[in-house]
Amino acid sequence: MHFRGVVFAVPAALVLVSSLLAVQRPGQVYPDHFQVYPGVEYTNFPLPPEWRGQNAEWTFARIMYPAVVWYPRWTMDYPRSDRHLSAAISRLTRIDARPVEQPVSLDTDAFRNFPWVYAVEVGYWNLTDAECARLRDHLLHGGFLMVDDFHGTREWEIFMQSMSRVFPDRPVVEIPDDDPIFHTVYDLDHRYQVPGAQFMETGKTYEHDGYEPEWRGIRDDKGRIMVAMCHNMDLGDSWEHADNPQYPEKFSALGMRIGVDYLVYAMTH
Amino acid sequence: MSEFLFKYPWALFSKGSFVLDSHWPVWLLVSLIAAGAGALAWFILSRARPGMRGLRPAILWLFDSSLLALLLFLLWDPAISVATLRQQENIVAVVVDDSRSMGQADDRVGQERRLLESPAFKALGKKFQVRMYRMGASAEPLGNAADLKARDGATHIAAALEQVVRQTATLPVGGIVLLSDGADNSGGIDLDTMNELRRRRIPVHAIGFGPEHPSQDVELTDLQFPASTLANSRVRALVGLRQFGFAGRQVKLTVRDGETTLATREVALAGDGADQSEPIVFNAGAEGVRNVEIAVQPLGGEQNAANNKLTRVMYVDAAPRRVLFVEGEPRWEYKFIRRAVEDDKTLQLVSMLRTTENKIYRQGVANADELKDGFPSRVEDLFEYKALIIGSVEAGWFTTTQAEMIRQFVDRRGGGLLFLGGRWALADGGYDRPPFNDLLPVNLPPKHGTFFRDPAYPQLTPAGRDSLLCRIDDDPDHNMQRWKALPYLANYQEIGQTKPGATLLAQMQVDGRGTLPLLATENYGRGRTAVFATAGSWRWQMLQPLADMSHEIFWRQMLRWLVTETPSRVTASTPHAVLYDDGAVKLRAEVRDTTYLPTSDAQVSARIIAPDGHEETVDLRPDAIQTGVYTGEWNAPKPGSYIADITARRGQQDLGKDVVTFRREDGVAENFHLYQNRDLLEKLAADTGGKYWKPAEVSRLPEDIAWSEAGISVRETHDLWDAPIMFLLALALRSGGWLLRRRWGAV
Repeated sequence: MHFRGVVFAVPAALVLVSSLLAVQRPGQVYPDHFQVYPGVEYTNFPLPPEWRGQNAEWTFARIMYPAVVWYPRWTMDYPRSDRHLSAAISRLTRIDARPVEQPVSLDTDAFRNFPWVYAVEVGYWNLTDAECARLRDHLLHGGFLMVDDFHGTREWEIFMQSMSRVFPDRPVVEIPDDDPIFHTVYDLDHRYQVPGAQFMETGKTYEHDGYEPEWRGIRDDKGRIMVAMCHNMDLGDSWEHADNPQYPEKFSALGMRIGVDYLVYAMTH
Repeated sequence: MSEFLFKYPWALFSKGSFVLDSHWPVWLLVSLIAAGAGALAWFILSRARPGMRGLRPAILWLFDSSLLALLLFLLWDPAISVATLRQQENIVAVVVDDSRSMGQADDRVGQERRLLESPAFKALGKKFQVRMYRMGASAEPLGNAADLKARDGATHIAAALEQVVRQTATLPVGGIVLLSDGADNSGGIDLDTMNELRRRRIPVHAIGFGPEHPSQDVELTDLQFPASTLANSRVRALVGLRQFGFAGRQVKLTVRDGETTLATREVALAGDGADQSEPIVFNAGAEGVRNVEIAVQPLGGEQNAANNKLTRVMYVDAAPRRVLFVEGEPRWEYKFIRRAVEDDKTLQLVSMLRTTENKIYRQGVANADELKDGFPSRVEDLFEYKALIIGSVEAGWFTTTQAEMIRQFVDRRGGGLLFLGGRWALADGGYDRPPFNDLLPVNLPPKHGTFFRDPAYPQLTPAGRDSLLCRIDDDPDHNMQRWKALPYLANYQEIGQTKPGATLLAQMQVDGRGTLPLLATENYGRGRTAVFATAGSWRWQMLQPLADMSHEIFWRQMLRWLVTETPSRVTASTPHAVLYDDGAVKLRAEVRDTTYLPTSDAQVSARIIAPDGHEETVDLRPDAIQTGVYTGEWNAPKPGSYIADITARRGQQDLGKDVVTFRREDGVAENFHLYQNRDLLEKLAADTGGKYWKPAEVSRLPEDIAWSEAGISVRETHDLWDAPIMFLLALALRSGGWLLRRRWGAV
């Protein structure tokens, strides 16, 4: 994402220092172990006023993964996109959604409390073997992983380097239009590429060689989707910029609907 | 001794009534006693000496007055009036047990023969016309005591008595003498036979043979489990045991289906003669008829090893049961319940989920039309399901009609209903109002804000430990350990206290709040209801090893509990699933229409499949009294397991079908109850006005049996004035009074 490159170039050192501080002094700890981490794009994003520390049925659980680069790619769009989607889930469905997200690590079992997990920019992730095993176990138990914001051939290959260790024996398949995942709340037979924020500067809906959106997944033994891959699109940005007048509404609308359908699918299948 | 004092045997007093045989009126007796007592009081007080102080005059007056009253009482000629059979005008039926149990080593049949030739029975023959019958599965005339061979394979006392009473319906029967060990194997004396004996006032005098218990034996006395169940479901069998001589010994119970061992369990034997009931759980297996044999391994020195096993027949049904799950919001509990039961082919979970305010997401529907308009609004549509689960959906979401339909679903249709916890469930969802508060097994707290997203730790109650619903492991101890190892629940809800009659199966420990009810059940009408006060059991799936099936098993058990006893429109049954040495079987079917109201205009037939595959069809007729009940009878010609496929139609409409199984066993029943069942004989005698006798005490039988109102009888009066007790009483009163007077210086 072009816009992010500018952001990284300037405060890289600050991010490193912030990350180190986060380890030594783990930031602001809220009830129920809610914790805000310094992000690549946002370091002091305000908490929503409705957040009172309450638990909820569903929480936007974002995976904190190790990356092939030195800075924390898992924090891309964080926490703005997470909270925008959480608000949309509350408004559009009857799901009891927590207003704030929950970053989760694959290094402990705590993430098992969150059957729905999300990972961004997985074209840069680099899971350890132990993390792959935990993620596989989580998904086979009934968990659901949504990955997003990775583009083109190279990022797909990097993504698969870890994903193929999670499920060495399960193929990645195209998800057809008539799959239930596109019809739980909204009928999304007609989808289009959802670009990232760079669209506002370049007018291009694609990045690298990712010209066409790809809706892929990995199914369990009963044909249910365990891993939903949003390749060559950036739903995270469509959520993040849902309140940005410069970002076209039609992309945010589709991004939100896909988020709603995927989540309801995860909670029903 | 008592007979010497009172002049007559006690039997006379018990069967007769007391009378005063004098022509003088009773009021005169009372007046004279009162006058005499008054005169004595005046006499004693007026002649009192200095030593007569305090209560002494009163005591002397009591002695004197009692003596006076006794003498006056005797003048009024007290007597016992009793109905007495007229000699040689009445019949006495002698029913002699000739079953195989009488041929035991203790030679009961020999004792019977000797007794029939004893002076007592000869005296009986002189007083009455004696008709002899030999008894087995029925009663047959017996010509000679020597014809008794102890060869009949069954003892049906009720059938024999009923037959004797029927054959002598027009004759003056003064009494029945039953010679037996009481080892009845038809299930006891039925009410109809007892009523007929009482109506004709025929006393049954029972003479018991054989020891009342063996010295060393283990016997299976009973075996109970459902006549039908779902495929691959856990079945809890209750095994009745009784032993003598092996108290405290460990024995192994084994459940078998043919050569396959289904379950085993070690049990410690209770004390001698104690009725012991032991549960054992086994898996019903695949669809079909199961001949379930439960056996206890024979112990060294047992007198009878043939009574160590019992066989019952069970029908395992694999037809899927449909359960409707109504959920008001997407929740993890919804998803994981669906996943838990999806591999159970006997359950079909049909669900409707309110994803948004105006959208319903359906899963598991049979076709595109099912539930397309939301929750069923017609009774016929709702009653197609066997059970209903209500999740986090407000009570007000249901219309008044739908709410009443849910009540009828449980009450009339006999369905299962489960309430789950949730932010729009139970008290927070407005379920503390009719009709839902009637259906709940708990009294909900009258407040909102009862749902909490805090940890709660589940634990079984004593009832839960014994319940199949909570059995996630066949072994009770392992089951307890697995419950203790379950992860905490993600949330919980306050549900108040269980209602009287409800069963609390599980509780939950909540930090800072103590123990709260978690899982409660109760029966309501023809159905059953349950409440599970959480929506957080999904953590049992997510936080345990992948191979752990606790969550799946719990929810399959829960849904099976909801549907297993839910009746279909046709419900068939038979009073005796095992026919011992007699093929007569009664079939009963209860037929209801699509709204589950009883219907009497159906055509009901039973297609009976014999063990050899031969088929026969029997029509069932409407019962004259009970609407919707159809009955029929048939005779199973050979031993083995039979299947009766009962179908009901009304015109062209198929109302439904049900399957009932039964088994005929020949020559097995007499291996059981080999010792004397004195309780049965005593009760039979007492309930008919007869008496239980030991063989050595029957010399008085001819005299006792004569005091009966059953046949042609006259009333006889037996004077009491000359009974020795009267004389002794008068002497005691007189001498007692005199001795006291001497002691106190009154004379």
